[in-house]
Amino acid sequence: MSLEKGFPFSNDSMRVVRIIAQILILYIFYYAGVLIGNLTKLPLPASVIGLVLLFICLQLKWIKVDYIKDGASFLIGFMMLFFIPPMIGIINYPELFSLSGSLLMASVIVSTLFVLITTSLICQWIEKKELAMKEKKEKGEMDHASKYIHH
Amino acid sequence: MQASISIISTVIIFLLMVKLHKRFPYQFFMPILTSSIIIIAGLLLLNIPYEVYMEGGRYLQHLLGPAVVALAYPLYNQWEMVLKYKYTILSGILIAMVSGLISIYTLLVIFKLDKELILTALPKSITTPVAMQVSETIGGIPPLTAVLVMIAGFTGALLGSVVFSIGKIESSISRGIAMGSASHGVGTSKLVDYSELDLSIGSLSLGLSAVIGAILCPIFAYIFM
Repeated sequence: MSLEKGFPFSNDSMRVVRIIAQILILYIFYYAGVLIGNLTKLPLPASVIGLVLLFICLQLKWIKVDYIKDGASFLIGFMMLFFIPPMIGIINYPELFSLSGSLLMASVIVSTLFVLITTSLICQWIEKKELAMKEKKEKGEMDHASKYIHH
Repeated sequence: MQASISIISTVIIFLLMVKLHKRFPYQFFMPILTSSIIIIAGLLLLNIPYEVYMEGGRYLQHLLGPAVVALAYPLYNQWEMVLKYKYTILSGILIAMVSGLISIYTLLVIFKLDKELILTALPKSITTPVAMQVSETIGGIPPLTAVLVMIAGFTGALLGSVVFSIGKIESSISRGIAMGSASHGVGTSKLVDYSELDLSIGSLSLGLSAVIGAILCPIFAYIFM
């Protein structure tokens, strides 16, 4: 077991403590989001407000990335686990397995697939245009610059 | 006591299913799917109501809050790329939102479903907490909306990679936008399999579509219903 200088703990237990402390920091941002949401009545979930707050703090360097890095990676890695309880909610709606319920579920699935395919195809097309436009612009600037140099 | 039983058993089942998925990496062994099926079967067999399960389950669900906040980290890492493709991202999210609203509305009208069910299904592509709020505002059934939101998320998480390989979608930007705006957090967390850029564009898109959806859904409902 390797020990850190001055700490009677292993690296592993330090890592656990660090992850827990960092999750607490993320919780602070979440509750700041709850508070702002309640005060301003924004039609946004607290978590998204918290995300924006944390992002701003990271950009302005008010918070070092190292302070949240491990906790954030941990929570993102386990995100699927947190979606299980709302998923289980399906057992309160046995009528989803009736005819109209199945049609409802099938429509949601088909519509989602439709959105995935149209959006990704159109985006791929727009993305190429945006990139080409930028390259053209950069090339234009370069041509302009080289003309300048030659004169 | 009951609460800790449902937390511990959910976590253990989930970890076992993650192991199973590593051993057999097929789409249909996706941990959230297999774990949910096992837990639902268990609750039905033991005659445990959802409310009792949720005494513990809600603590796990509560961690979704800080988990969504945590998505600021990949977003921060990839911010330069986001700025580079801002027009693609914005127009992509609008296209996703509009095509989602029109397609679900058309399908449900063809199937002659009730007005209340149509209103319940409209916010399906937005992240759960916002979708429930929107559903309530426009006159749907919020808890049923939450279930439909999960189905939309699942569709993306489960079939997204198939759609992307059929459509030959090789760009992280396009995958992120499509997944984040069609399948919110559930689909986005599956983007870990691709790259950090996929994940950050996905989290940006799920946040932006929550904002855009919260505005567009009520307008759409007002015009069409």
